[in-house]
Amino acid sequence: MAHNSSAGRSNGAIALPERAPNRIAPDENVHVFWLNGMGCEGCSISFAGASNPAMEQFQWGTLPGIPKVILHHPMFSEHSGDAFTEPYRQAAAGRLGAPYIVVLDGSVPDDEALPSAEGYFSAMGAGGISSHTGSDRPDRVTEWLYRLAPGALATMAMGTCASWGGIPAAAGNITGSMSLMDFLGGNYRSSWNIPVINVPGCAPVGDNFTETLAGLLHWAAGIGPPPEFDELGRPAWQFGETVHRHCPKAGYYEEGVFAEAPGDNMCLVEIGCWGPVVQCNIVERGAVNHMGGCMVAGGACIGCTMPGFPDKYAPFHKPPPGSAISGGISKVYGGAIRRLRRMSMKTGNREPLWDNADEVPSAWAGAVGPRSGTDRFAAYFYKKLQYNGTVHHGNRYKKQPLPKSRDILTQKGIDHTQSVDVLRERSLPREEI
Amino acid sequence: MAYRLETPREGGGLSGTRQVNFDPVVRVAGALALHTTIDHDRGEVVDASVLGTLFRGYETILQGRDARDAIFIASRICGVCGSSHAATAANAIEMAFDIQAPPMAVAARNLLLATECLYSHAHHLFVLAGPDYSEPVVKATNPELWARAEGTLARGVATHGYERISDIMTGLTRVSGELYAEALYMTRIAREGYVIIGGKYPHPQTTVPGGISSLIDTSDMNIYMLRVVKFFDYGRKVAAVWDDIIDFFYEANPRYREVGARAPNLIDNGHFDDPWAYDALYENASRWGEARWATPGAVVDGRLVTTDLQRLHGGTEEFVDHSFYENWSGGGASGDTSLSANHAWNKETIPAPGSPSSSKYSWCTAARWDRHAMEGGGYARLWITSVANKSPHRMFCEPTGSGMRFSIPQASLPATELEWRVPQSWGALERNRANAYSLVHTALISYDLVLMCLDLLRKGEGRISTEFRIPKDSREGMGLGGSPRGLVNHHMTMDKGQIESYQVVTHSTFSASPRDGSGQPGPIEQAVIGTPLLSAPGDESYIDVLRAVRSFDPCMPCATQ
Ligand code: SF4
Ligand code: SF4
Repeated sequence: MAHNSSAGRSNGAIALPERAPNRIAPDENVHVFWLNGMGCEGCSISFAGASNPAMEQFQWGTLPGIPKVILHHPMFSEHSGDAFTEPYRQAAAGRLGAPYIVVLDGSVPDDEALPSAEGYFSAMGAGGISSHTGSDRPDRVTEWLYRLAPGALATMAMGTCASWGGIPAAAGNITGSMSLMDFLGGNYRSSWNIPVINVPGCAPVGDNFTETLAGLLHWAAGIGPPPEFDELGRPAWQFGETVHRHCPKAGYYEEGVFAEAPGDNMCLVEIGCWGPVVQCNIVERGAVNHMGGCMVAGGACIGCTMPGFPDKYAPFHKPPPGSAISGGISKVYGGAIRRLRRMSMKTGNREPLWDNADEVPSAWAGAVGPRSGTDRFAAYFYKKLQYNGTVHHGNRYKKQPLPKSRDILTQKGIDHTQSVDVLRERSLPREEI
Repeated sequence: MAYRLETPREGGGLSGTRQVNFDPVVRVAGALALHTTIDHDRGEVVDASVLGTLFRGYETILQGRDARDAIFIASRICGVCGSSHAATAANAIEMAFDIQAPPMAVAARNLLLATECLYSHAHHLFVLAGPDYSEPVVKATNPELWARAEGTLARGVATHGYERISDIMTGLTRVSGELYAEALYMTRIAREGYVIIGGKYPHPQTTVPGGISSLIDTSDMNIYMLRVVKFFDYGRKVAAVWDDIIDFFYEANPRYREVGARAPNLIDNGHFDDPWAYDALYENASRWGEARWATPGAVVDGRLVTTDLQRLHGGTEEFVDHSFYENWSGGGASGDTSLSANHAWNKETIPAPGSPSSSKYSWCTAARWDRHAMEGGGYARLWITSVANKSPHRMFCEPTGSGMRFSIPQASLPATELEWRVPQSWGALERNRANAYSLVHTALISYDLVLMCLDLLRKGEGRISTEFRIPKDSREGMGLGGSPRGLVNHHMTMDKGQIESYQVVTHSTFSASPRDGSGQPGPIEQAVIGTPLLSAPGDESYIDVLRAVRSFDPCMPCATQ
């Protein structure tokens, strides 16, 4: 993947040291404590949908050089209740005796500010985190976070809610939700001196997360290079470019051709695409197993990876203000470029042999015939430019004799014209490219 | 009440009555806790409370937004079935805007919804519920069953390839089992198809007001079809695996029918609109509802009482007596006086975070239909469609009045007929079996929909969106849709293009509900109460209690929003 562009270099983000401060021994396991905050489970579903690498590969310990992961996850673990929360409790009390990573999906509610000590918007487990007292008190996810994060090897925010607050933190929310960075504060560092790592997206591309986790563990095992993060803690190689740059519709944008309605195949900016100003890699990497991606399918980008999501990109379905300028310019400039390109395609769509014979032997289209005078004229100048200072293949091919067995069916007198008539019966109107 | 927390004391003798809490219940979708009172002398659960332990406030966040934005916001209510919320929100918008998505868009939305079922059922059956029947779990909780499984030949060996029941149990093992890993792989195959049209999963980027923002062409359908047909063989395998496991448990001990048992009170909106019958008008909902490929309906005490979508919707109420909300003043946000003050559309969401020691113990409201505690799920859809016998579209799936016959075309395995029958008893294992057959059902529907999309392409009817104007007056719209786990209702009122109120009720608002105003427990609570303890004395995992909960396939982000 390309990430050497001007936007790919983060401006002044701290870099992890080339050698990790500690080192996970080859036979050592790393625990991952997953917490669900104010999320929708979509991040866990994305995690389970990842394949590069896949969730189960971490658990099997079949990724060479990457320590085996003991996954504690409300959607995937074996045991419920206290048996499930006990290792979390041990880690919070510093009694786990093994390195661990904390992953949060979902944003963090303002539960610590609730008037009732037992109220919560998001809780997991009950009875007290530091000591298991058997009280009624629900264990707030906020408390798990502030107790687990300091001792962690690293703390990762999975998805836009955990990374930037997302929809639960949007205008009109009544839970006071915020991101993990907001909650832990700008001074937070893990026990390995790493600030919060953010893998945004709503929901994120699963591979973005598993790849980051794999990179982190590879480094922590003393083998891989330190993963690079940008000034907001995003994996720099994944979020260093705008999604527009790799968009399959970027060529339409360049030529100034825009979709007017959903389902049109052109650039989607006029039906609300924010891609030119959004850092995301989904069209390049694909959504699942390298397939799909918003604009690949035809959906306009609403900036779901960005800290401003959703409010700074809403209302959706409305062209971003900047597009009136850049889109307008591209219509004029792109329109001219497009016409020139179509001219050169006219000659490119002809075998040199057809030029010599001055006919196109395709029964698909009745309209293809000898070239017009203008076409010949344009082609002449085009070739002059193209071959200037080097070999003129156009002139070379002119000397090539026509193959003798062209149009063999006519030569042999075999009747084959029926099918041609059938094809001509129904001709499809085709839009110009 | 069982929502006093008490930890089982280590080494304590398992006799007498004690309170056991499962907080959280893992391997379900979302934040769910279960508090129970277990009577060891009687050998069963005598009280249960289900706690939804998360509230995000989507209904409030949606207020005041551009009505068109409801799709992309509401989709995020649930990341296990985002497609369903996106499609249901689109239906609500289209009803309010008085526009209709063209046939190709309806077919494509159906296809996305059906593919979502493929991934979701596989996920439920093997990643969430399956491990409860796996080698390590059975060995630990019922060593005698493991010994028996080693000596029991599996009847479906020709289909699934496992010689003995114990081999299937080994396959079901969490993380290391073949069936576990295969299910994860298959969920990814389903998603690969999904993202071709949806762009991404779980929150699709192409569901838009008036249609779908995706150009569907031959390549898309080719890629989709290649993935869908993999579910022909896989669906047969899944059905055979679960038939074998379930028969084994019943034969070993008929009391497994009592695990998670309750009266079959089921509700579903139906699923998969007929592109030519659906007109996005509420007054015609009864008609287009019955034209759905899966039929709407309510089953009370095992009897089908209605297939009328309007009646289903009209009878839906929500109660907050035991939920962390304040009662709303009534009068009704919907302004519709024919609906009860407790009708879901008249509800206002007024959260009051408290602790479970008060009489309020869950973030889930108590949704009821006709005052009955109903459960929703893929299994409810299969049951209702089977007994209603009204589905107009029967290319590969034939309801019989007492079951559903599937004609599975040849893939790697030869073509075959398969039949699901309405069960004699209703409990955890039958829910799982019906979900396994739902996988077959939705695989065939997905295939059918691919063929329909191809047919529309052939006829040149590829148009996939509709032009619209945002109405300037005040409007009301609702989506009465479905997800893999059952019904999804969205209700929106808007004025000058802005949302005034937005209310959501889903399958799990029914299934995972707490007690209602009259003290009637929710469906999961009812199913857990009376569940016998069939594991070896001393099993503190209470595996049968968890089997009961997981069989509902509850989804808490859907339940509590
Ligand atoms: S669709 Fe969006 S990202 Fe793609 S070219 Fe157009 S503006 Fe850029
Ligand atoms: S392209 Fe835009 S909408 Fe799609 S995943 Fe990336 S940021 Fe989100």
